[in-house]
Amino acid sequence: MAHYVYPANNAPSVPGYPTAMQTAFVAATPQAAAYATAPRPGQAYEAYQTQHTAPQYAYARAQVAVTSNFSIQPTTYEQKTYYQPAQAAATYSTGDAQYQQQTVVVKPSYTTGTTYTAQRQATVPKVQTVQVTSAPTNYVYTTGASSQAVSSYQPATTYQSATTASTTTYSGYDAALYSAATSYYQQQQAAKATGTWSTIKKATMPTIGGKNGVASKPKISKPPQLHYCDVCKISCAGPQTYREHLEGQKHKKKEAAAKVGTPSSSGRSGQNQLRCELCDVTCTGTDAYAAHVRGAKHQKVLKLHTKLGKPIPSSDPVVVGAQKASSVSSVAVSKPAVAPVKAPVPTVSAPTSVAAKKVLATPKITFVGGNQLKTTGAKMEEVKITPPPVTSQTSMDSDDDDGPLNILGEKDVAPVGHEYIEEIKNDATGKIISFNCKLCECKFNDPNAKDMHMKGRRHRLQYKKKVDPSLQVEIKPSIRVRKIQEEKLRRQAAKEEFWRRKEQEQRMEEEYYWEERRRYQEMEMYEWHRMGRPGMPPPRFGPAPGIRKPDSSDDRHVMAKHASIYPNEEELQHVQNIVSACEKGLKLVSDHIAESDAKAKQGIEVKKDVKVPVKPVTPAKDTKVAAATPAVPAKKDEDHKEGKKEDDSAAPPRVLKGVMRVGVLAKGLLLHGDLNVHLVVLCSEKPTRTLLERVADGLPKQLATCTEEKYDVKRCVEEAAIVVTNSSEPHVSCTITLTSPIMRESAEGGESSAVTVKDPPDVLDRHKCLDALAALRHAKWFQARANGLQSCVIVIRILRDLCQRVPTWTPLNEWAMELLVEKCVSSAPAPLSPGDALRRLFECIASGVLLPGGPGLLDPCEKDPMDAAAGLSNQEREDITASAQHALRLIAYRQIHKVLGMDALPVPRFSRRPFNSRKRRRTDSAQADGDGEGTAAEKKDKKEDESMN
Amino acid sequence: MPGGRPFRRGRGGPMIRGGMMRGGMMGFKPMPPFRTFIPHIPFDITQCETNFPQARPVSEEKALSDALLKRNGDLTPSTNEQASVLNLVSKINTVLDSLTITPGNFDAAQIEEVRQVGSFKKGTMMSGNNVADIVVMLKTLPTKEAVTALGNKVVDDLRASEPRDGKHGTGVVTMLTSETGFEISSSEATVRCLITTIPPNLKKLDPDLHLDGKIMNGHLAAIRHARWFEENASHSSIKVLNRLLQDLKNRFEGFSPLTFWIIDLLSHYSIMNNPARQPLPLHTAFKRCLQILAAGFFLPGSVGITDPCEQGTVRVHTIMTLEQQDQVCYTAQTLLRVLSHGGFKQILGMEGNATIATEMSVWEGVVVTPSDKAYEKLEKPVEEEEDEDEDEMETEMK
Repeated sequence: MAHYVYPANNAPSVPGYPTAMQTAFVAATPQAAAYATAPRPGQAYEAYQTQHTAPQYAYARAQVAVTSNFSIQPTTYEQKTYYQPAQAAATYSTGDAQYQQQTVVVKPSYTTGTTYTAQRQATVPKVQTVQVTSAPTNYVYTTGASSQAVSSYQPATTYQSATTASTTTYSGYDAALYSAATSYYQQQQAAKATGTWSTIKKATMPTIGGKNGVASKPKISKPPQLHYCDVCKISCAGPQTYREHLEGQKHKKKEAAAKVGTPSSSGRSGQNQLRCELCDVTCTGTDAYAAHVRGAKHQKVLKLHTKLGKPIPSSDPVVVGAQKASSVSSVAVSKPAVAPVKAPVPTVSAPTSVAAKKVLATPKITFVGGNQLKTTGAKMEEVKITPPPVTSQTSMDSDDDDGPLNILGEKDVAPVGHEYIEEIKNDATGKIISFNCKLCECKFNDPNAKDMHMKGRRHRLQYKKKVDPSLQVEIKPSIRVRKIQEEKLRRQAAKEEFWRRKEQEQRMEEEYYWEERRRYQEMEMYEWHRMGRPGMPPPRFGPAPGIRKPDSSDDRHVMAKHASIYPNEEELQHVQNIVSACEKGLKLVSDHIAESDAKAKQGIEVKKDVKVPVKPVTPAKDTKVAAATPAVPAKKDEDHKEGKKEDDSAAPPRVLKGVMRVGVLAKGLLLHGDLNVHLVVLCSEKPTRTLLERVADGLPKQLATCTEEKYDVKRCVEEAAIVVTNSSEPHVSCTITLTSPIMRESAEGGESSAVTVKDPPDVLDRHKCLDALAALRHAKWFQARANGLQSCVIVIRILRDLCQRVPTWTPLNEWAMELLVEKCVSSAPAPLSPGDALRRLFECIASGVLLPGGPGLLDPCEKDPMDAAAGLSNQEREDITASAQHALRLIAYRQIHKVLGMDALPVPRFSRRPFNSRKRRRTDSAQADGDGEGTAAEKKDKKEDESMN
Repeated sequence: MPGGRPFRRGRGGPMIRGGMMRGGMMGFKPMPPFRTFIPHIPFDITQCETNFPQARPVSEEKALSDALLKRNGDLTPSTNEQASVLNLVSKINTVLDSLTITPGNFDAAQIEEVRQVGSFKKGTMMSGNNVADIVVMLKTLPTKEAVTALGNKVVDDLRASEPRDGKHGTGVVTMLTSETGFEISSSEATVRCLITTIPPNLKKLDPDLHLDGKIMNGHLAAIRHARWFEENASHSSIKVLNRLLQDLKNRFEGFSPLTFWIIDLLSHYSIMNNPARQPLPLHTAFKRCLQILAAGFFLPGSVGITDPCEQGTVRVHTIMTLEQQDQVCYTAQTLLRVLSHGGFKQILGMEGNATIATEMSVWEGVVVTPSDKAYEKLEKPVEEEEDEDEDEMETEMK
């Protein structure tokens, strides 16, 4: 794709043309090139146009284009800058220089040496200035065939026609940019401009030849007698000196080195060394390299080689130390070097040779062998740049005087503000003798200096200040700044390291935490299964989201206390036994009763519908339920049987419909040593004393059939219950209450209906029956609300224990307690750890929830608003509140163990900060390691005491 | 951070709200994360009213709110008092202003700024305590001599500006220097001129020559507090509640650790900080104050109130010692129980005396035992919880 090297538009018109200061922008930065490559060739022209009219703007545009392009096109750009080696300062002398932002040009022709030579031969004699017309502006037109040779061509042509149309001159036609494309283009140009061709020559020649024109034919034509030393690449004035040279140390050294095969000067292999293959000289930087190339020595060698017709290796610097250097250089080519006709005065540059450089240093750039390109005028060259070279540009800081040599990724900047540079001309000759920068108020005689100046930081700053505030001037980091930056990087690395480490710690920490949790949970699960509690999810302590707070001392105390009040395995086993025995027994009793009733009444087949629904808590569905959920695993078989039987039972209502677990048993709130469990038997009719006795009579017999253990069965009519106790330690009792949903209906229906419904005369105590129904509802509520709530069950157990231990709290009934805890925990803004939950509970009571003026506890299981704690007297409320208030402060002052009635736990090991000692040792070494741990812990305790706050 | 104490982030560390902050606030110190202090958010029934629906008919609060308003009336200084204070304040202000602008031959100190602060400025002045506060910020270093000289100068100027008839004047004006500055008193009012200096000077203080830096820092804070109050707490309920709380503080010894600034913040919090963001009625807010204090709002570990006038997160209650925090809490707990049993008149000081907070009392047959302190300086073995409860049981028996 085309590059437009855009000269300053201040070039004087026709007559001044040769001397015109030529500021060439390679307006098309690599990006621009890419931009131009864009499918629509026409755009190239547009770009050109804008450049033409407004260089700055074009530049900006090019930039923009870049970015977009890089993302889109994975093409490789060869990053290239041109320099014109001919005379010292050749590049610069050509005027304001083609300031080439690294141009990413990929050129087919670059690939082979042959092309190059051909090219060179072609170029040397000729001046490639194609002056089409005498338009005021010169375009140095650089073609870069990028990805698509074909398409790349297109724009070229477009451009061409465009230019002709607009009557511009292609003056600095850079030989550097040769490619197959270029030559083609050239041909075209030539064809077009044949008429002018000769004139061009004439016009330009004088200037070129004028001073130290390198490439001018005349010089070549007089062949000197040469004594050339191939090794050292020098010529000697005469045979004498030549001989002397050959005997000299320097020569011998080089010779030896050459034999070994190492380039003599590449002894040090720094990363950023550039080697001039021509002279076999290694330079440490682009600047040095540029200086070298410009330098007399290089020029001499170049001249010499030219004269001798020896191949001139690419004047691209070879980056020493870059891994790819070798492979690349082969591809790379032969960049026809140079356009260094430098005229003394800024003139049209007539490039004799262009040294195109490639950035070999960037390993990211993949070069593809160029042969194919060469062969095709129309073949695509696949060149890929993986990552945009932009990165390297931007990261670089040196903004001045890199000149066109920009291999090592140094940032190149576009010169700005030439319009502010006055040319001071010699009145007599019209030659420019010096320049004056109006912005910086400084003068220079050398155009080269001017060029440098324009790219210089000071000038740019001035420009920014006085002309265009949006210009970016890079900050040149001073040594100090750089140091600071390094320091910053270092610190950042350290920081990252630290965070990584800390994360690890945290993970460990958390693992520990969850390990604990998991253990606990497993235990609980285990118990649960043993208990054979059906259909009930095990309590979840599990990963509640957002609880990341590790165990506090309070938490540990609460959990320790909790572990101590939790019933042990033996107890659980006993409870399990008695409950399942009762359930089985009750079922058998139910069967029996149903059977006898049936016999008595209708004499239908026996055992038709046997079902003892064992469903812990579904008061609502109690009628239908049993079959649906065979709950207790132990009873599975039985249930299966029942299930079968049930199918064919159309059923006169059984008297005993089912048995359910309620209270602590259903809620899983059993405590160590507190092993009274409750079952509720639902009856189809209002339970009567008679019924109770029937059941109580039948039960022992049935119990005997289903278990070997001895159980005492007592009837307790006033409680509407039967109490089953075991004879062995630990004592477990199971209270079986008879009730019926009908009791509640009648209660709701009001006195009248209750009365009218023919109550059996010996109906059981209504309150007890209602309580039993309520207990069913509570159990259901509990599972819906409290069970899943983090810390809730734990705190309820703790509170139950408190109520048993502390007389003040005894009046608080369990239901109120459960409600209260649930309200406290669920109203917290975030999930609470057990310790926090307990503290919150006490806070809640302390703030007067239970006090006479407080809101009380609205019972969700009653239809009418009711205070679940209504049974408390004012004095009891007062005392409970006072006790909670004190407990709260004890917790706040780290005496939670007093509240829990336990010994204070020792400070856990791992809270002693494993990092302490290490840290200490490192930071203050004065402290003896010996006393490290002990005092550390002590101090910490003290500190903690102080800082409880 | 070499040598940094790794303990810093214990419970005493700076407090942070929210649980997810942990990672962020760890700084660079490798510390086991569980020293991270996550403040406890204490229970506040106003914030979770939905969870505690009224299970009982709401009791009549009219008596309480009437009593509160009445008490407020008693506490509010009379117009005469206010006028006399205002009179003195404005005169002193004038004198100080003119000294600020034209120091004249007074060179002992240069005044940077003069500001009114404190209860007079906030409109929460208490009757019978006709003291207004003015902060005088000096450009120069506040040597004790300079303060005295300034005080004398002010008094001289006051007298000079005063027509000698004594009728409309401030009467006899006296000046007293103190640690904080100087006080100028007329027969009816007192104006405290609190001396401070510009912040850069605070580093240069020499305790032998100058006023105490802490005190002067406090005076600078007072300026911020006055401004904050003006901007945020202008609602009259807040001022009324503020006055009532000041009254509690004055009468109940247990509340004495509460500073004026804490009271400002607490009254603002109680009135304004509720889910509806509407000012609560006075009686509710008053009760709420006691409720949240009783629930340990200002106990260790609680978030309490973050000082809006300090950088970072400073919980205001941490300026009280642990013992004082305990004291405030148990006093509030006792009073709350008394209040719930109908003892509002005693609490407001309309009947009885302050012993209700410290001695057992009986309300409608209910024995209220004052809470006792829980704070223990030493980690000595302690009586069991039961002991305490047994005590309570005993008292019940009586």
